[in-house]
Amino acid sequence: MTDAIASPSALASNRRKIKVPSLWTVLKWIAAISVAVVALFPLWWMFSVVFAEAGVPVAVNPRLYPTSFTDGFAKIWEVFEETGYLRAYYVSIMYTILTIAGVLLISSMAAFEFALFDFPGKNALFAVVMLSLMVPLAVTLIPTYLLVAQLGWVNTMQGLVVPGLASAFGLFMMTQFMQSIPKETLEAGRLEGANHFQLYWYIALPLSKNALITLAILTFMKTWGNFIWPLVVSNTREVYTVSQVINQFNSPFSHTTVDVVMTANFLAAIPPILFFVFFQRWIIEGVQMSGSKG
Amino acid sequence: MSDLQIKDAVKSYGNVDVLHNINLDIESGEFVVLVGPSGCGKSTLLRMISGLEDISGGEMFIDGELVNDVDAAKRGIAMVFQSYALFPHMTVAENMGFSLKLAKAHKSEINEKVRRAAEILQLEKLLERKPSQLSGGQKQRVAIGRAIVRNPKVFLFDEPLSNLDAELRIEMRAELIQLHKQLKTTMIYVTHDQVEAMTLADKMVVLEGGQVQQVGKPLELYDDPSNMFVAGFVGTPRMNFLPAEVVDVSNTTSTLRFAAENGAPEVVLPMTDGKLAIGSKVSVGIRPDHLHFSPAQSGDLAIPIDVAFVEELGDLTYVYVDTKAGTRLSSQKKDGRHNHGTTGYAVADTTSMFIFDADGHRVRA
Repeated sequence: MTDAIASPSALASNRRKIKVPSLWTVLKWIAAISVAVVALFPLWWMFSVVFAEAGVPVAVNPRLYPTSFTDGFAKIWEVFEETGYLRAYYVSIMYTILTIAGVLLISSMAAFEFALFDFPGKNALFAVVMLSLMVPLAVTLIPTYLLVAQLGWVNTMQGLVVPGLASAFGLFMMTQFMQSIPKETLEAGRLEGANHFQLYWYIALPLSKNALITLAILTFMKTWGNFIWPLVVSNTREVYTVSQVINQFNSPFSHTTVDVVMTANFLAAIPPILFFVFFQRWIIEGVQMSGSKG
Repeated sequence: MSDLQIKDAVKSYGNVDVLHNINLDIESGEFVVLVGPSGCGKSTLLRMISGLEDISGGEMFIDGELVNDVDAAKRGIAMVFQSYALFPHMTVAENMGFSLKLAKAHKSEINEKVRRAAEILQLEKLLERKPSQLSGGQKQRVAIGRAIVRNPKVFLFDEPLSNLDAELRIEMRAELIQLHKQLKTTMIYVTHDQVEAMTLADKMVVLEGGQVQQVGKPLELYDDPSNMFVAGFVGTPRMNFLPAEVVDVSNTTSTLRFAAENGAPEVVLPMTDGKLAIGSKVSVGIRPDHLHFSPAQSGDLAIPIDVAFVEELGDLTYVYVDTKAGTRLSSQKKDGRHNHGTTGYAVADTTSMFIFDADGHRVRA
């Protein structure tokens, strides 16, 4: 019979076994921390510049920490007052929300048909949609603008939103996901009396929740930062997005100082940062799932 | 309670016919089991009945109404799938009440019907769980419950027990029999397991190659198979078949000679004149429980054999033997022990032999 109670010497040796990290682990941590610093420093610098006394950020010895919150809020107030930034926030948020809603609806409905049903020309159609993924934006920009212009949608919310609703990537992702829904589940639904739309609404859609969240996140990241299309289609202040407002600060003839420009950038960065903080888990899962950063 | 008739039903995919001229009469309240090896078309036939597959030809009637073009949801049929096909995002109660929700039934009515079905299946405590939190047997019960709630005319089961372990399968089999007695609804059940078929069925339909081979009560099929396929398929271990040739025919008997290398003598069978012709090739079928191992020559037929291996199960013993020509035969002993050495004779009486012609059709005396 072995001794059930560990001897004092055994306990001591256990205590001594506190893991000494291997060199490899230390190197991995150093690399990870370096990457984190590289990623976070610009954000910190932005924050420090915004909340700094005038002139400090461009001084010979700039401070790496905020020096005046009062000055910072004054700058934020200035930007809000002089640039219509709140309006731009509203436009950007509506543009993003409507685009996400539309992309989710259209992609999931199309994917439902492509993934779970057969119809004539299905493969050819799917191939055409996938081919469109390979066409660069520069090629489609002008034809899309002409179409939108003919519809009289220039400088309107629908002009901003509608062309971005048919997402080939979204269709591809949702189709891949929905293909994993067993056919028997839908057949069971059919026998229970569900019509075609009810199969989509009550079965396929809830079962694709993870994919929908991922697509929503990827669409958010793409839409919030989108610059080119809003630049082309909205030319009046009423429909400027946040990125366009920032662009005004960057124009060569603007007389604003670096800290005011930084404030505008800072305000633009807040929504995605908050978004990331709240949806971290899903963003990481989503990127892993789609193998893409959007 | 509803009856179902299938008349000359055909199913083809392109040029390939998978079911040929299926004719089937199912009476109200019957428990019918469609049985056959993989790929025989039994699941396809079930899906045709459910409406999930179109009927390429022929007619199908439920309660006298032609349902060929009636949508699956409107046939009054409920189906239990092999994979259960529960909706993973819904709770047990939601799964069971889904059809009523779609039919816009009142909430209290849904709750009441779900509760009643849960009571029958002892699922009351699981109603708020998701399918992922259930065991295989519980999932199966929920799938059955979902069917019960709809109060269907006909229940269809597509190999519902094949994903369960052996013990649970036996338990669920007993529950299904009980459920059928309780509900008295017409049930059609598909399986490839002939033991399951024999224990459950009022009427057994053996399918092979897209054709109905024989329909009847399980023991009718066992005792009186109409062809070689049914004889071989029904019964475990399967029936032994020995090739033979008709060498003499009289008014009341036929004499068969087994392939010479099997070393068996000629056997005189009672057989009405005209059923067998001299020179024709036949197969003689003997069930393992009618073929006995004997150390000495005895009985109407004694084939010299070597014992290949023995399976002793306690109450039963299966002795697998090889004839001199190398044909493997199985014999069953009731007394449970084998201690008769490694060579001897496989003996059988003519009364327990089944004769099949060259095309596999049964030749009855």
